Amino acid sequence: MTRYVIGRLGGVVVILLAVCLFTYLIFFKLSPDPAVMICGKTCTPDRIDSIRTVLGLNQPLLTQFWEFLQGIVAGRDYGTAHCSAPCLGYSFQTNESVWTMITARLPVSITVAVGAAILWLLAGVAGGLISAVRQGTWWDRSAMALALTGVSVPNYVLALVLQYLLVVKLQVLPFPSAPAFSDNPGLWFESYLMPWTVLAIGYACLYARLTRANVIDTLAENFVRTARAKGLQRSLILRRHALRPALTPITTIFGMDFAGLLGGALITETVFGLNGIGKLAADSIAKNDQPVIMAVTLLAAFFVVIGNVVVDLVYTALDPRVRITSA
Amino acid sequence: MSETLFVVEDLTVTLPTSRGPVDVVKNASFTVDRDDTVGIVGESGSGKSMTSLAVLGLLPGGGRTTGSIRLNGQELLGRSEAELRSIRGNAISMVFQDPLSSLNPYYTVGLQIEEGYRAHRGGTRREARKVAIEALERVQIPDPARRIDHYPHQFSGGQRQRIMIAMALCCSPELLIADEPTTALDVTVQAQILALLAELQAETGTGLIFITHDLAVISSIAQRVLVMCKGDPVEYGTAEQIFSDPQHEYTRALLDAVPRIDDLIPAAEEVAG
Amino acid sequence: MTLLRVRDVTKQFITRGQGGFLAPKAPFTAVDRVSFDVELGETLAVVGESGSGKSTTARIAARLLDPTSGTLEFEDQDITRATGKQLARFRNDVQVVFQDPFSSLNPRYTVERIVTAPLAYQGISPKGGGRAFSKELMERVGLNPDHSTRYPSQFSGGQAQRIGIARALAVGPKLVICDEAVSALDVSIQAQILELLVRLQRESGFSYIFIAHDLAVVRQIAQRVAVMNKGRIVELGSRDQVFDRPQDEYTKTLLAAVPRINPEWDRRRRLREQERMQSR
Repeated sequence: MTRYVIGRLGGVVVILLAVCLFTYLIFFKLSPDPAVMICGKTCTPDRIDSIRTVLGLNQPLLTQFWEFLQGIVAGRDYGTAHCSAPCLGYSFQTNESVWTMITARLPVSITVAVGAAILWLLAGVAGGLISAVRQGTWWDRSAMALALTGVSVPNYVLALVLQYLLVVKLQVLPFPSAPAFSDNPGLWFESYLMPWTVLAIGYACLYARLTRANVIDTLAENFVRTARAKGLQRSLILRRHALRPALTPITTIFGMDFAGLLGGALITETVFGLNGIGKLAADSIAKNDQPVIMAVTLLAAFFVVIGNVVVDLVYTALDPRVRITSA
Repeated sequence: MSETLFVVEDLTVTLPTSRGPVDVVKNASFTVDRDDTVGIVGESGSGKSMTSLAVLGLLPGGGRTTGSIRLNGQELLGRSEAELRSIRGNAISMVFQDPLSSLNPYYTVGLQIEEGYRAHRGGTRREARKVAIEALERVQIPDPARRIDHYPHQFSGGQRQRIMIAMALCCSPELLIADEPTTALDVTVQAQILALLAELQAETGTGLIFITHDLAVISSIAQRVLVMCKGDPVEYGTAEQIFSDPQHEYTRALLDAVPRIDDLIPAAEEVAG
Repeated sequence: MTLLRVRDVTKQFITRGQGGFLAPKAPFTAVDRVSFDVELGETLAVVGESGSGKSTTARIAARLLDPTSGTLEFEDQDITRATGKQLARFRNDVQVVFQDPFSSLNPRYTVERIVTAPLAYQGISPKGGGRAFSKELMERVGLNPDHSTRYPSQFSGGQAQRIGIARALAVGPKLVICDEAVSALDVSIQAQILELLVRLQRESGFSYIFIAHDLAVVRQIAQRVAVMNKGRIVELGSRDQVFDRPQDEYTKTLLAAVPRINPEWDRRRRLREQERMQSR
């Protein structure tokens, strides 16, 4: 088991290094010259040169990349200024430390992701389960029709419609502002309710369809027939023999979806004006703020890769067939 | 003289299909005595498995059953789901063809034996666990007290079928229905499972319905045989009569088609020479 | 004449444990130093239980898998690592019939397209055109030639297996490898397919490697039998030698385990049958 985890973490490091190199090449080499970007419109060649020297842009590519990595692990110096680890550089736009920008916004994105995940898991799995058990009834048909519609509606449309209805027309909810939980729990909940719902609906519909399909497939399994032949109660068969095999694969999908969201819900955050990682990404792309784009990309990759490992570990705990036997 | 345990009379099973209802079993009748084994034999689509599922009310959605099914003189057809549930796994048990897919991969074999026992006998988990260990011992799983906590995939195919049998026998049923229990197994393992079934039957006096496509297996295990073809019961009699003096054309053709290991059909001999 | 010579063939599969980069690798030997010859026109059966390595052996003989070590010679040419034209010629001479006809026939192709496909790959146009060619083939394997434009799903299991056989015969092979080709069939259908296989061999003189787990079936069709257990051939001999005077302990166990119809009952039935025939 320990060996397995160490092996997987080794893999994680390799993948993250590859992602680093790739994003580095794309953002620093294929984009406009950062020195020109920083310098702005009124700029002299001398000034560009000095910026280049400070940022290390006149050095060979590999050296630059090496310094970038060093910055993350051990910190680095820009001219006379020291940037302590983990150093992701400074924003070209605001000169703020990128690391500070990220850590300030991450809680918002985490709040959005966790709340939405709870909502969609509850709604999706419960809906799918009821549909599977009452397969072919009016409940099943209407729930699945609704789910199909929900999957197909883009969530910015949903966000704008909800915002118009609930905030502007009916005024039952405040305009989302991402206040701190400790200041005003009520307002906190009300502000996040809409982003959570909007983000959750698409996933909930998808999960409902998945759950339904998995439960129906599982109920047709031979071991369910065995359970019936043993004379077990229907509720026990459903709870014990159908649910666990049906939901285990959903864990995998959930892990990946959730990890993806931790890297920022770009559309939802932008539409509701929430200052999370997603909005940071959107803003930095719009302004071509390379260090920030780079950091946001790395962060998303980090969550996805770690999420992958966690999902695999959880899966081995849930499914005895893939449980790791320590040799 | 052995007494009558189980009677099936004029059993007709109708399943809905896209082309309307189809009778997959038509007027089948047979009798199982205590200590007795009845073989139901037929090719694919003969309705032999549907007969067994109908007995326990386990037909796939929308299946209808008419006729009469009696255990110790008590009619089973038309019973409520709750009543049938108290019979399943208790008075009448089943063993299925593919033991791997018939066991839930997510739970230990112990739990899967215990839950059947507790559904009918109640009691604590500890009592049930004791029964389960004994059941595994009876089907000759080595080291049952340790193996009870293992998962189905940690056993061989033959052991899994032994576990299915242990599960079926844990409530001491009066009738055991085995639906192609050895078809998915290797021939040496099949021989072991057949020996085990015979041994357990001698011990407990359980009536046995053995469903298979393999005439040679039927010949070695059954006292009476029902031959089925496309839902029709074409011939019913003692094993000796069916194998030594078959009356129906289909039975004869079937017996002719069985490849013999001890001698040759002439067509092959010509070429071999 | 020896058609195929298999010498010391071993196949190891590397099973990778879990754990990404540090995973321990464990070789699993599926086939262990197996040697046998197939003579022109004969039927060699390879029997064994699940996991014995018989199917892997068949796949290696057809060059669908490469052996880890050992050699294959076909018509005195080493084809163990043959590529290009030589391999194409070998593939033409050696055809395989699989267990499940439905999964090995393309469901979107008509019978005509299925049986002429092997020719199309070789760039040969069948004499008399595809239609006539496939009709003739279908007739040979006992199918209604008017059904050449139907799809596999429109046939029964036994008929579909005949299509599989027709496809194998389309290129005029010298060796046909039957991998559990009759195992999934009902006993009456099985008897018909066995008869067909024997008849086709008599007509065309090719060889069979007949892979099966059912010893009774093997006795009906083979001239020589190889018994495999745990990757090795434990006994190889003429059919009657293996069945009537087995030398190896495993072969004896295997033969003893085969269920038999009560021989006394069977004898009485046959006597009655004979009387019935004579009185007619």
